[in-house]
Amino acid sequence: MGQGLALKSWTRTATAVLIGSLLAGCGNDKSEPSPVGAAVGNMAKATLARVTGRAAAPAAQPAQVTRADIEKFGIPILRAVIPLRGADALLTVSDAKGSTVTWATTDGTSFTLRDGVLIQTRGLGADLMSSQAPSASALSSGGSHQRVYFFLGADDQTTRRTYDCTVTVDGAERIEIFGRAHSTTKVTEDCVRPQGTISNTFWFEGPVIRKSRQWTSGGIGFIDFEGVVD
Amino acid sequence: MPYIMLKSPSRLLAALALGSSLCSGPAFAEMTKSLNLNGTTGLIDMPSGEAQDDAAFTFSTALVGTITRATISFQITERLSASFRFQTWRDWDAVIAGDSKFNDRSFDLRYQVLQEGRYLPSLTIGLIDFTGQGLFSSEYIAATKSLGERVKVTAGLGWGRLGSDGSIGQVFGDRPAVAEGNGKPNTDQWFRGDAAPFAGVEVKLSDTWTFKGEYSSDAYVLEDDERGLIDRKSPFNFGFEYQKGPNTRYGIYSLYGTEVGLVFHLVLDPKSRATGGVMGAAPVAVKARPPRSADPEAYDGGWVTQPDAGPLLRKNLAKRLAVDGIVIENLAYTATTAQIRIRNNRIDAGAQAIGRTARALSNVMPASVEVFEIVPVVNGIGASKVTIRRSDLEQLEFASDNATLLRQRTMISDAGPLPANAVGDDGLYPRFRWGLKPAFRMSEPLKGDLGLRLSASYDIRPGLVLSGSIYGRVVGNVDRSGDPSDSVLPHVRTDGSRYTKFGNPALESLTLALYGRPAADVYSRVSFGYLERMHAGISGEVLWKPVDSQLALGVELNYTKQRDTDGGLGFGEYDYDVVTGHVSAYYDFGNGYLGQLDVGRYLAGDVGATLSLDRVFVNGWRVGAFATVTDVSAADFGDGGFDKGIRFSVPLNWALGNQTKNNFGTTLRANTGDGGARLNVDGRLYDSIRDYHTDALDPEWGRVWR
Repeated sequence: MGQGLALKSWTRTATAVLIGSLLAGCGNDKSEPSPVGAAVGNMAKATLARVTGRAAAPAAQPAQVTRADIEKFGIPILRAVIPLRGADALLTVSDAKGSTVTWATTDGTSFTLRDGVLIQTRGLGADLMSSQAPSASALSSGGSHQRVYFFLGADDQTTRRTYDCTVTVDGAERIEIFGRAHSTTKVTEDCVRPQGTISNTFWFEGPVIRKSRQWTSGGIGFIDFEGVVD
Repeated sequence: MPYIMLKSPSRLLAALALGSSLCSGPAFAEMTKSLNLNGTTGLIDMPSGEAQDDAAFTFSTALVGTITRATISFQITERLSASFRFQTWRDWDAVIAGDSKFNDRSFDLRYQVLQEGRYLPSLTIGLIDFTGQGLFSSEYIAATKSLGERVKVTAGLGWGRLGSDGSIGQVFGDRPAVAEGNGKPNTDQWFRGDAAPFAGVEVKLSDTWTFKGEYSSDAYVLEDDERGLIDRKSPFNFGFEYQKGPNTRYGIYSLYGTEVGLVFHLVLDPKSRATGGVMGAAPVAVKARPPRSADPEAYDGGWVTQPDAGPLLRKNLAKRLAVDGIVIENLAYTATTAQIRIRNNRIDAGAQAIGRTARALSNVMPASVEVFEIVPVVNGIGASKVTIRRSDLEQLEFASDNATLLRQRTMISDAGPLPANAVGDDGLYPRFRWGLKPAFRMSEPLKGDLGLRLSASYDIRPGLVLSGSIYGRVVGNVDRSGDPSDSVLPHVRTDGSRYTKFGNPALESLTLALYGRPAADVYSRVSFGYLERMHAGISGEVLWKPVDSQLALGVELNYTKQRDTDGGLGFGEYDYDVVTGHVSAYYDFGNGYLGQLDVGRYLAGDVGATLSLDRVFVNGWRVGAFATVTDVSAADFGDGGFDKGIRFSVPLNWALGNQTKNNFGTTLRANTGDGGARLNVDGRLYDSIRDYHTDALDPEWGRVWR
């Protein structure tokens, strides 16, 4: 009887502590965060974003931030849109080594472009880890080249894809980025391998890639980049 | 700046969280490899000729009238798969008096002899319940052919239960009875006795709905004629299955004219992350040094003479590495070489932790330092030494195929001794850590305990740690009858229900462990105290494992006494002590297949060997099986005859995508006996250091730049 009672009260106390600690756990060892807590946090964030974002919001999104809002910071800004993920972000420079510039969101996703040509991403999951990509000048002048993508597959291993590409200059096109018009030359890079084809599109404003749609990896698909503020 | 970023990152994050399934979902171009009520590849109750995708790990729960079947299956290779099933018959006493429930565990193996071709069907040969008492035993050959993209037809021939209705006669002679409590493969029975044909069809109605119909050759003699659980009126079964996403499937069927069958399948692909890829923030960029010609002074090594250089560099590095859960054990340097010893607490892939450390070094160390030596430390001892040249890091950061190129220029070698000039300690030793976390203990499919674990450890100096834990069950359905087992051997394992009943909460362990590196390629461990739930004493181990060797050899020696069942400190209840020990060989066959052979003396004093085979995946998934044969007779071992089981471990970050090294996993045994039982001591050497040796680092090396 006595033992039964003791057991019961232990169970009750433990249940209370269990519920309390289920999300977080507790202790002084902070090197390993509670995975359950983090997952619930992420889910809550995602749900919140879905509720506030709504389905029709993406079209309205750019209108909320005006060019004046962006320019007043006085720093270069690149916009990245990932259609497959429904993601839209404004990026700032986190590292520059010559013509290779790494752009990042504040939550630690980064995109590295060499003269506007995407060569790496980090923090997207199926990241483009490295690539053999043509230079911007090679793209603007047409011709053909080989392109190799190395991205992290779902199996955590490097997946290599090699394409033979041909560049076609499509001609002049007027584009608008955050209320500013740009006169550009549209260039298409068509890439083929036995298992499939992809094509990247670049809008050149003089020698500069002002806007582009570039394939990244099997899991991410295409990313649209727009140079908003130089 | 954060102001305008505010909306975009959260949107991106949300998109990543929601959109992740976009990358992992299979294209439904071909029909899914289907599963049956037994949790194996097949129709409804019958098997088929197909195989699951390589490495598919499935968990199935089925209700067939009053019978429950819970099954875990693993596609070991493209053609070979194995299943472990836990089956419960309720109302077992309906006709014959006795227990109201009857439990049985069974193992299946199946091999696909022929893969489907343009004209040829797929053909599989299989053994169901091939080691048990034979309540569910059958053998079969089954062929399946797809007709177009929506229809699959199956026909097969079965023996045993699958030959019990509509027999066409005995093809290979009589089927002898199973020896009681045998547990060895029932080779005498295989493909013997009556053989009967079965057949079925599967029609894909839409991307989510499938219709199945079959003609069953199982007469359910046990359930119908003997026990009166099921009234089998017809050999025809039919029903529908609903596929929800890539991972779950539900089925409802009409069975044998009288029963309703329900099934739920969880289908996991250990090879592909549930989140499509490794999540976690981007690394910091490698810091480029100025060219030596432009700034020769930057390369001056005079800084090493400054007394405060060490602590300052260490502090700056620690700050950068803390972001990734990496702790610095030691930092040693000369003007040209830096050796950093790290404890990787969070990143699941060693290669990524090494890459992050190299990037941090490039940002912090003065320009004259050209060589980075990174030593991952596990349990206070160096597991290996990864030497990266700083100029390679700078040159290859944005190079095409940078991982392969960096690996070619990186040397992985024995960790070696700690350099004499190391700047250690930063409040790391001595250090007390504790945690209270919910803990799940699974003992068999559908059985487990959810409770709380209070754990604490005190790091005295590198390699010397005092640690302990207390576990209390809150809810659970594990056997806690408290009845002593009827085993004729010393009850070294079979009194589990007593330990569960009387020891709640219980002191699981309280040990002082000393880890060391007595020589190059040699690792050692001594653990003393309450080593596990049932045994306490001293355990020593020495392992030889060169960093680039596929072979490792180890020796373990233990002296233990059996603990009281109340989970306290006493030894009064069992007057039992034993010397146990093993000689072990470990071999990495490549492609993730690991083998291990242990020969020695087990807890009950029996002598024998354990053979295990595990398949490990780059992302940390691990699935394996083991079998132990000792000089204990099958009768003395009890049900099951000898010790055998499966084990699996799933990294939580595979499922959740966030940075953590935590795992969920368990070992499931066919039967718990006292023979072939090994001490469960923490910190065995091979598994703790292997992560940082070339066989583990190379497959995941692509993540060094992640």
